[in-house]
Amino acid sequence: MPFHVPAAASLFEAGQSGTIDRFTNEYLAGKLLDIGVRPGSRLRVVRKSPFGGSWYVKIDRQCLALRKKELACIMVK
Amino acid sequence: MHNGQVKATPVVGLVGNPNSGKSSLFNILTGLRQRIGNFPGVTVEKKAGMLSLPGLPTVELIDFPGAYSCYPTSLDERLVVQELTNPEGDLFPDAILYVADITKLDKHLLLFTQLRDLDLPMILVLNMADLMDADGLTVDIPRLSKALEVPVVPVSSRDHRGIAELKEAITDLLRDPNRFRPRQAFFEPGANTRDVLAELRRELPARNDYHALLLTHHAPWLKHIPDATRHQVQEARVRHGFHSLRSQVEETMERYNTFEPIVRGSVRHAGDTSSRSDRIDNVVTHPIFGPILFIALMLLLFQALFAWASVPMDLIEFTFGTLGESIRTTLPAGWFTDLLVDGIVAGLGGVLVFLPQIAILFFFIAILEEVGYLARAAYLFDSLMQRFGLNGRSVVALISGHACAIPAIMSTRTISNWKERLLTILVTPLTSCSARIPVYVILISFAVPPVVYFNGLISLQGLAFAGLYFLGILGAMLSALAFKVILRTPERSFLMLELPEYRIPVWRNVGTTVWQKSKTFVLEAGKIIMIISVILWAASTYGPPADMAAAEAQVTERARAQELSEEQAADLLASERLEASYAGHLGKAIEPVIRPLGYDWKIGIALLTSFAAREVFVGTMATIYSIGSTDDEFRIRERLAEERNPVTNEPVYNPATAWSLLIFYVFAMMCMSTLAVTKRETNSWKWPIVQFVFMTAIAYFGAMAVYQSLS
Repeated sequence: MPFHVPAAASLFEAGQSGTIDRFTNEYLAGKLLDIGVRPGSRLRVVRKSPFGGSWYVKIDRQCLALRKKELACIMVK
Repeated sequence: MHNGQVKATPVVGLVGNPNSGKSSLFNILTGLRQRIGNFPGVTVEKKAGMLSLPGLPTVELIDFPGAYSCYPTSLDERLVVQELTNPEGDLFPDAILYVADITKLDKHLLLFTQLRDLDLPMILVLNMADLMDADGLTVDIPRLSKALEVPVVPVSSRDHRGIAELKEAITDLLRDPNRFRPRQAFFEPGANTRDVLAELRRELPARNDYHALLLTHHAPWLKHIPDATRHQVQEARVRHGFHSLRSQVEETMERYNTFEPIVRGSVRHAGDTSSRSDRIDNVVTHPIFGPILFIALMLLLFQALFAWASVPMDLIEFTFGTLGESIRTTLPAGWFTDLLVDGIVAGLGGVLVFLPQIAILFFFIAILEEVGYLARAAYLFDSLMQRFGLNGRSVVALISGHACAIPAIMSTRTISNWKERLLTILVTPLTSCSARIPVYVILISFAVPPVVYFNGLISLQGLAFAGLYFLGILGAMLSALAFKVILRTPERSFLMLELPEYRIPVWRNVGTTVWQKSKTFVLEAGKIIMIISVILWAASTYGPPADMAAAEAQVTERARAQELSEEQAADLLASERLEASYAGHLGKAIEPVIRPLGYDWKIGIALLTSFAAREVFVGTMATIYSIGSTDDEFRIRERLAEERNPVTNEPVYNPATAWSLLIFYVFAMMCMSTLAVTKRETNSWKWPIVQFVFMTAIAYFGAMAVYQSLS
């Protein structure tokens, strides 16, 4: 179920998806933009890692592994 | 800059994002004519090769490390920016082959537009063009070429399509580099950077505005910027309130907005190409099946390592044994024959015998890398690794460390957090590298009885073998944990890992990796081992003249008194001479230190020489025990079993000593090359010294504890 107010992607459960609205951390934003994650991209949390802490995320058609802290700066609606 | 003249050796750079298939293309263009070295001043691996093009001097092709943008976060990426912003440098390319994955153009063109704005002559190479028909992907090449104002060549590393066209395009571009000069920049610096640029534009050695902007961003660390200019830039940045991060984010957003319509206008995706990868990942990255699969893969790997390597290893041992024998029977006896057989042939055999295992290990790791599995392993274990102060990417180093710590340590460059990278470098040599295998093989037979269970399915010796590997991994993790607590840095750490789509490996790449790594091992490690073999042979053959004479006189007397046979007298002479030799003196000197570990002076010599490289242990044993006897050098195990303590007449290699030696070899830092690599990678003598001390201390006290409790 999509959030109508932008929320941090780290709050998502596996299977939830949304559209990236903005980033809340400039430093991480620079890095995320470089690898092709940007506002307007579709984000879907696919699954969590076996020992917790990292997420398997699909952004547009690209698969990425992101840590909770990295997801927390991505606001999704 | 480009005056139409072709240089004596034009430099062409391969640049592109990680996972764009750059290295495959490099392998196709250069074949095996590659030189692997380091970029000057840094330890980033530099792959260079020669490319012959009709009507042009030989071109040097440089495979630059993969980079996402001109705003680097890792050492590899920094190097790309460093070299491409320095027109005076030797590595500044005359032309760039920009490699992009045809299925990911919407992301891979970011760096392209940045380099284009630097006014570098470029060709856009669309790799993985074989996916064009199969997956319903269509790309309007002429349209893309027109919009980007550069030649666009689709190629495939799999079926080699487009390679001839690419070579033609390179030839044309080198002949006329000005033909595709950009008419308009993709990005114009915005209002908040205009002031700082206006001030610095004339001061900086910049070719255009964008070049000046990058120098303004990166002047603090760029090596080719003089200190005076660096200060000037810093002051100007403060004065005009230049915010590097904000400016970077704005630039990147604007670039995406500029090139996205171009990509959308020329690329059509028909179906969802990644569904197959998704299905594989449902299992491979599954929270439960994923780790199980990982462990199964590792078990398979080690099983293969021992099962497949034994035949070629036996063959190599047999060949060198026979070679030594035939040299000894053909050449007249004397010091030269001894040097040849005991020094050089034995040493050479000792190097080459590792080759099958190293080749198999790199074969496996290259496949895992090519398929895309290593990135998944990093994802699976990131959070576990973080608890030990490491990064998910450390898994790659810890796995490859089982082949050889040197490439493993070099693979840590993708870890951008310095502390995580340092810890990985420090603990990786604790994983049991292939050089320890022969030592384990020989010693386990003394430590563990040859018992088998379940009709030979599981052997106790095999279990002990696996146990030693596990001990190495455990040691690495616990050491990392200890360092995590000791070293404190506030630096931010990232995972942000791309999980590339699964692909069938390009066998040519696998083959090239195996070939390159094997060659490097034989040449680099081989040199050290050969030198040590020869030194050791000399040290154990010669000694202080007075001592040697005394030893001979004593043997002659004892032989007469005890009426020894000629053969017994010769063996006695050999062992007495060894004891009186320089090596013997050295061994005796350290005996008090290693006595609590259960070692005698002969083992002491082997330990000392092992500190250069552990694989020397077996060679040393061969050299020490073969002197004066014409036994086959490679049947060391039988020879060691006969070795007895001269005082108590007990076997020297009892289980307690064997276990103590095994523990010592699991933990001790005995590889000069690894220390040299650690020094290079950490850029200081401090860390190799720390590494040597902590590993050797664990080894010494561990071995002592084991010996004292078992004996």
